[in-house]
Amino acid sequence: MRIWLGVWTLAVALLIHPLSNAADKGGGKAAEPYDEDTYGPEAPVVWVKPVRSVIFEHRVHTMDAGLDCASCHDDLFEMSSGEVAEKDDFTMAAIYQGKYCGSCHDGSTAYNANTRCTTCHIGVRGHQRLERAQAEKGRAK
Amino acid sequence: MNDKDVQRREELGPDRRQEISSLERRALLKLGFAISGVFLGGSVLSLVSVRKADAAGAPVIGGYPYNPHYTMVIRERHCIDCELCKEACVKTNGVPAYGYRTTILEKRRALEEGKFETTFMPVLCNHCNNPPCVRVCPTTATWKDKTTGIVGIYRPSLCIGCKTCMTACPYNARYFNEERRAIDKCDFCFASRLSKGEKTTACAAACPADVRVFGNLADHGDRVYRLLHAPETLIWVLRPETGAVPNVFYVNT
Amino acid sequence: MNTHLAGIFPRSGGLEARRSTTLTLTMALLALLAVAGIVAGIHSLVAGHEHTFGVSRGVPWGILIATYVFFVVISTGLCIVSSIGHVFGFKEFMPIAKRAVFLSIVNISTGFLVIAFEIESSWRMVVGNVVGANLTSNIWWMGTLYGFYLVLMVVEFVMLQKGRHGLASACGLAVLLTGIAANSNLGAVFGLLNGQWFWQGPYMPIYFVTSAATSGAVAIIFYTVLAYKVNGWQMSEAMKQSLGSVARLAVLMLAIIVFFTFWRTVAGVTGSAPGRHEALLALLNGPYRFNFWAGEVLLGLVLPLVLLLATRGRNINVLFVATLIAMVGMFFMRYDLVILGQLVPPYHGMGLVDYPEFYSYSPTLHEQLVVVGGAAFCGLFFLLGERFFRGHLVDSH
Repeated sequence: MRIWLGVWTLAVALLIHPLSNAADKGGGKAAEPYDEDTYGPEAPVVWVKPVRSVIFEHRVHTMDAGLDCASCHDDLFEMSSGEVAEKDDFTMAAIYQGKYCGSCHDGSTAYNANTRCTTCHIGVRGHQRLERAQAEKGRAK
Repeated sequence: MNDKDVQRREELGPDRRQEISSLERRALLKLGFAISGVFLGGSVLSLVSVRKADAAGAPVIGGYPYNPHYTMVIRERHCIDCELCKEACVKTNGVPAYGYRTTILEKRRALEEGKFETTFMPVLCNHCNNPPCVRVCPTTATWKDKTTGIVGIYRPSLCIGCKTCMTACPYNARYFNEERRAIDKCDFCFASRLSKGEKTTACAAACPADVRVFGNLADHGDRVYRLLHAPETLIWVLRPETGAVPNVFYVNT
Repeated sequence: MNTHLAGIFPRSGGLEARRSTTLTLTMALLALLAVAGIVAGIHSLVAGHEHTFGVSRGVPWGILIATYVFFVVISTGLCIVSSIGHVFGFKEFMPIAKRAVFLSIVNISTGFLVIAFEIESSWRMVVGNVVGANLTSNIWWMGTLYGFYLVLMVVEFVMLQKGRHGLASACGLAVLLTGIAANSNLGAVFGLLNGQWFWQGPYMPIYFVTSAATSGAVAIIFYTVLAYKVNGWQMSEAMKQSLGSVARLAVLMLAIIVFFTFWRTVAGVTGSAPGRHEALLALLNGPYRFNFWAGEVLLGLVLPLVLLLATRGRNINVLFVATLIAMVGMFFMRYDLVILGQLVPPYHGMGLVDYPEFYSYSPTLHEQLVVVGGAAFCGLFFLLGERFFRGHLVDSH
């Protein structure tokens, strides 16, 4: 009895296996390597000014969402991520008025900037966790 | 609380109160709350601490046992963990490096497809109406002020450092201050600010996202009162099961 | 004055303590360890626990609270077993009564010595407990009642020494009641903390008093046999019989503790009371499983029960071994009880990230020195007691 159960399980598993593999490949994007020239720097941008700590990931916006560099650079943001943080109007108020992130995060193009705060605001805790992860990655290399 | 009190509350309450089933009402009363707001679709509740009001023998709907009844309302989903509140607290109250009076915790809730949502949760002393820390103190070094309801170490020179209050606190709000040789904790900035005429705590003043709203719950014009009595508001407190009847409320608005 | 003291310290009769180099050296070593513990304790008070102890904001009560509980529960238990004989008149329990009273004093003093270093501003107690007396505080009642208990106990002992048995019995009853009230309040210190579900409930005060009776029975056998062994005394038939009776009591009490432990475990695992469940899992199958299975269950309960039942309490050597390991097991019980109650962080189960599943605690060198010093202090005064009170013999009257 038990032996047959094992044999059948194995057979079913072997049958399903190539299918599940194919399904994975169908996902597509995961397999594509991240190309920094096309999609921008892979490392996330983290602003600590004017408030700690806000994350921006090129990957999410370019590779995943399909925007190209010119969508944001240099109209909304300078190429150097530090520059915008020095501006007096890099504030939530300005964003709500459609500046910077707010030009898309307005509730129609992308979710409104006055919702889902913690998606970008990773906070001191999130920033520390990111730095820990990067340090660990560095050690692994 | 006896049945008569409940009945009187029911009679006195606004018309909408009848929408609350008696079972639900009873369950909430057990937790030490009276329902003073409205109940819509099973989720919108306004809860108010009542235990001390009962103890004082004068239960009044929507009334609060202290005046000013200092309260903090935390608009939790707006918290971005910038931790300016923590810095302000440390600076204002001279909190040592090994201690804290308030901190930010981080909740994570799974969304679909492996995504998740983060919520930052500021925590501090809840200035409970029925403070477990006060009951256990052998030397009455700590008590709840009869006027303001603020739980403080009012006589640190009597604190023997037995740390029972630390184990009694359901919120981990207390620490031993090595310099004072006594327990230390949040006093809603009473010593550092309120007693000097300031109207709010350092953490609330420092918050850029308007998460921490500090005020007097006994004043119907006060923002904390209005926040806690606004319709369609989900209000919760931390660890209600301990019976401490906290005065730090969390809202989803 | 001298005649008063002579009444307390017998000059003749009783048993002559052995005067050997080994014993003297042992006592010197115990004194040294006690001093080292006291020095470490004083240093910890001066420097602050932050820098010397393993306790923290999450786990403010460490091994010294466990040690305090260990000693005062034994003290209360010794008081209980002594009262069976000289308060309630059970003849079988007479021969151990005087030693039990004396050691009860020694054990409570050891408890006080140890906790003086865990209470971080303990010097304020003298004034604070009087000026600030809080009648709703179990720890206030516990401390105050144990204070009275110690004083009454000393009076009782003096009366016993002077042969004023009526007064001693009356005193003994008062001490018994005070001790049990103090001991159950110590349980309530833990049991009435509503935020700490591992402790919360009426179980703690009841468990503490039961534990006291158990430790008392175990400890008096241990100390008595040890006293006879180190001094090379011959045990009288009456004493042997008495120890046999105490051993039967110990078996009964250990069985009750098995029952308590079993149902606490089952209730905690079956129910899902927040915090209690997690703490029990840590005990049964987590970081504290060695303490529980090897310390509490094997050393504290199973082995002593098996040994005592197998020999029916008649073999003195087995009695000694069984009670020795039971005492070690009991220390594990006190330690786990104190530490585990604090290990589950208050906001567990709320889906928090970067938040500990359990707090951690391990005793530092300072704390260990105080524990060893306390035990040495207790051992030293036990040996001195045997010498000065000549084997604590009870004259048949």
